[in-house]
Amino acid sequence: MKAVVLDGIVLGLQFGLLGVGMTLIYGLGGVLNLAYGQMAVLAAMVVAITLATGAPALVAAGTGLLVAAATGVVLDRTLMRPVYRQRGEHRVLLGLLLTLGVAFVIDGLLLWRYPSGALRLAIGGEAVPILGVRMRVGSLWATGISLAVAALLLVFRATMAGRAAHSVIQDEVGARLVGINPAAVRTFIFALSGALAALVAETRSMTSPVSVTAGFDFTILALIVAVVGGLGSVAGAFLAGVLLGIVSTVSAFYIGQYITTIVLLAAAALTIVMRPRGLLGR
Amino acid sequence: MTAEPDAIVESDAAPLGVSARPPRSLARAFWPIAVTGAALALVPLWLGDSRLMMGLAVDALVFGAYAIAFNVIFGSTNQLFLCVGALAGVGAYTSAILPDRAALPMAVGMVLATALATALGGLLSWVAVRRSLDVIFTGIVTLAFSLSFANLVLGQRELTGGETGLLVSASADSFLRDRVAAYYVFLGMLVVFLVVFRVLQRSHIGWAFRALRDNELSAELAGVAVARYRVYAGLIGSAMLGITGAVFAHSDGFISPSTFEFGHVDVRVLVMLAFGGLGTLLGPVLGTVVFAVVDEILVDFGQLRTVLYGLLVIALFLGFKRGAVPAVGDFLRLLARRARSRVGRPV
Repeated sequence: MKAVVLDGIVLGLQFGLLGVGMTLIYGLGGVLNLAYGQMAVLAAMVVAITLATGAPALVAAGTGLLVAAATGVVLDRTLMRPVYRQRGEHRVLLGLLLTLGVAFVIDGLLLWRYPSGALRLAIGGEAVPILGVRMRVGSLWATGISLAVAALLLVFRATMAGRAAHSVIQDEVGARLVGINPAAVRTFIFALSGALAALVAETRSMTSPVSVTAGFDFTILALIVAVVGGLGSVAGAFLAGVLLGIVSTVSAFYIGQYITTIVLLAAAALTIVMRPRGLLGR
Repeated sequence: MTAEPDAIVESDAAPLGVSARPPRSLARAFWPIAVTGAALALVPLWLGDSRLMMGLAVDALVFGAYAIAFNVIFGSTNQLFLCVGALAGVGAYTSAILPDRAALPMAVGMVLATALATALGGLLSWVAVRRSLDVIFTGIVTLAFSLSFANLVLGQRELTGGETGLLVSASADSFLRDRVAAYYVFLGMLVVFLVVFRVLQRSHIGWAFRALRDNELSAELAGVAVARYRVYAGLIGSAMLGITGAVFAHSDGFISPSTFEFGHVDVRVLVMLAFGGLGTLLGPVLGTVVFAVVDEILVDFGQLRTVLYGLLVIALFLGFKRGAVPAVGDFLRLLARRARSRVGRPV
């Protein structure tokens, strides 16, 4: 049981990381980025290609982060402009459709060039006992990185840039009145979200391979985690991620693999129906 | 979602789709349906010899029917039902399994299948309305339903055939297996759905739909029972989806999870409808035709097809935010006005 819960936490922190990138962009611009999973896969492929040239793993991982962040910036600077001119539900819908188009483009290009591409960051070493459970080194690394990012995001909220971002989330006009440029904040958050997507792909590949077709699965999972946690809430995304991760591994262990997805989805749907604002939503 | 003040919204912001009133005269309200039906009825004369092309045409009509159903639910009442494929799948699997396992006549199976899809869709709508979920939350709950359905079908292998799919034996020698006959059956359904949509638009239900789509709060304050009308839309649209799926199972003879997959059905229907024009009568049909043709053109491009499809989606939505049907309407009106002013001008 202890092992199952620990596995759930490892998985859940990755879910959380996945949800954060989605939730941040939504909180800021009211846009659900359906190309999010594709950004993660793009980063994974960049890492795989860089590794294949013989570059050290850290350099490869960094390149992946940069490429995904740059994709985020380009997306924000070009296609998202007309979206921000819309408002309310029209903004949501146009954002969904345009990013869906981007998702198709990235997916198609990657599948065309690397039809069987996959990233697996194998981290060697003996399994380490944690609380009496032997954990693989890859899982520990993935967990450590996820926790570090969560901590960094909490620290970031206290910085000037973090406060600026938070003020834009709360009230765009108010932020503008105190001299914050919402467009610049959005671009920054898009870059951050791209980097987070890359990080998810990289940590995920430490425990199981990330294939070139995984884009939409990442996106759907990110959407569910972000919505269950409360759109716009970073802590909520991590909380939802860990809870869903534990639900997922526990039900996989006790009930069976194929029911697990249904249990996970039912848990998500139930949370939304019970608390339409999400766990920690405003 | 927090309401944004107008100050930061630029003036060229145009909403997606329209909620225009249908024409008052009976003839003007229904002639577009007659013309569309007649035009589509001619397609087999042109493609009838090729079984492959007719198969594609039938698939296009099935998607057209899905799009009209989705238009009733999402286009008219803003409930983002991301379970179009799943509800059609409920209809298809129920109508395929029941005659086989319970020795029921095919028609009874279809009726029960439609009833089940209607009930499920109505339930989803009711839950969304009761908990006053907004667009995104409705979308996520119905998406969760979609994915659960897909998993259930995969898991209940002995009943559904799992990933390999299910051969529908009940209708093995029915006329529905003939592609041209199937085409006319689906065309008939499409026309009936369009008529239902128009009749709804012209009734008090249509008034309520337009009111709640334009501004939910004002509609509620003006005495429109927003919740009830949303559930009506959910029920009607789901019934359309259920029966389309049920007939499809028997006409195609083979169903598998990928036939009703979210990425295959829902994404496409959303793109088709948003392109054609949310809430318009002919938007779903136009979207269907355009994307069927685009698919045929792109078929030789392999994986690049996905790329081109994505680029097209981006270009279309940057260009026609309100949908193609309203854009074409505006263009025709502009031409008419030009012509009129030219006539009025002294030579």
